[in-house]
Amino acid sequence: MSPLVSFAHIAVLVTLVIAAFLAVTLRDLMSSVIALAAASLLLALEYYLLHAPDVAIAEAAIGAALSTAIYIFAVRATRR
Amino acid sequence: MIGEMSRIVRTMTNIIFGFIVVFGFYVIAHGHLSPGGGFQGGAIVASAFALLLVTYGTEVIQQYIAKDLLSVIESTGLILFGSFGFLGISATYFYNIVANSGGLFGSPTVIGVNPGDLNTSGTIALMNIAVGLEVLAALGVIVLTMSAAAEIIQNKEKS
Amino acid sequence: MKKPIFILAFIFFAAFMFMAAIDMRPFGEPARSEMDDYFIENAQVQASSNNVVTSIVFDYRGFDTLGEGTVLFTAVIGIVALFREVAK
Repeated sequence: MSPLVSFAHIAVLVTLVIAAFLAVTLRDLMSSVIALAAASLLLALEYYLLHAPDVAIAEAAIGAALSTAIYIFAVRATRR
Repeated sequence: MIGEMSRIVRTMTNIIFGFIVVFGFYVIAHGHLSPGGGFQGGAIVASAFALLLVTYGTEVIQQYIAKDLLSVIESTGLILFGSFGFLGISATYFYNIVANSGGLFGSPTVIGVNPGDLNTSGTIALMNIAVGLEVLAALGVIVLTMSAAAEIIQNKEKS
Repeated sequence: MKKPIFILAFIFFAAFMFMAAIDMRPFGEPARSEMDDYFIENAQVQASSNNVVTSIVFDYRGFDTLGEGTVLFTAVIGIVALFREVAK
């Protein structure tokens, strides 16, 4: 594995952990949902780096787009 | 979301919606050649529906996309997928009998490393289309139903 | 009262995760197995699809995909039945 690819792996994974931590700790629910979407998108990027483009497409479409939309509908329907 | 979002969001949605839908159907149709397939392409098209719902609100979209029609498409996709498996019942269930036979999706497959031909691979392409229709309609129904319910609950709490 | 339990559970969970991470194999191992080689060799001849992943999902493991479609169908039935009361 070339050093550039290793660096890309490490950068994506560290950012993924930061985004997941933010999704748990943020007080505002809407910001937390956006952090979860960012974590999902970074996970899709990691799948792509691991040569699994099928899983990356599914993760980007379902995790980052559809579940974020459903979470936003749910947050809007409840009292903050 | 009550009502529609700002003019900037609406303009961007009008531009980008067609491209997302066309890309989703491209992923479905080229499932036997390129990464992706029925499930992934259907999820992409359904995410375009979610974009429309977030931008324009539920009441406007429900005039254009009927939930009952989506339910019918979903059931049809699953039944089609099950019945395409019966095409090769002379050998086994899921046997690929349409491949290399001449007709639709039946051109002979070139063995080895090649760029690929769209008109190959028999029942695999047909099953991709069936599963794509099913996933598209299923995720569309889920997003549409939850958005409508959220809007109704919001209106109840306001009054 | 709750806080020490949470801290204890967190320590246990983190310890198990670290143990799993230390015991993990090196990246990319095991390299191959007979099953992968068989699919890569024969997928184009037997299933006549250029994309090996699609030929596994729709031909070799077709029943798996049928079950996945059924699970999605059941999820849609559940959601529509759940929100029918709200929409009334």
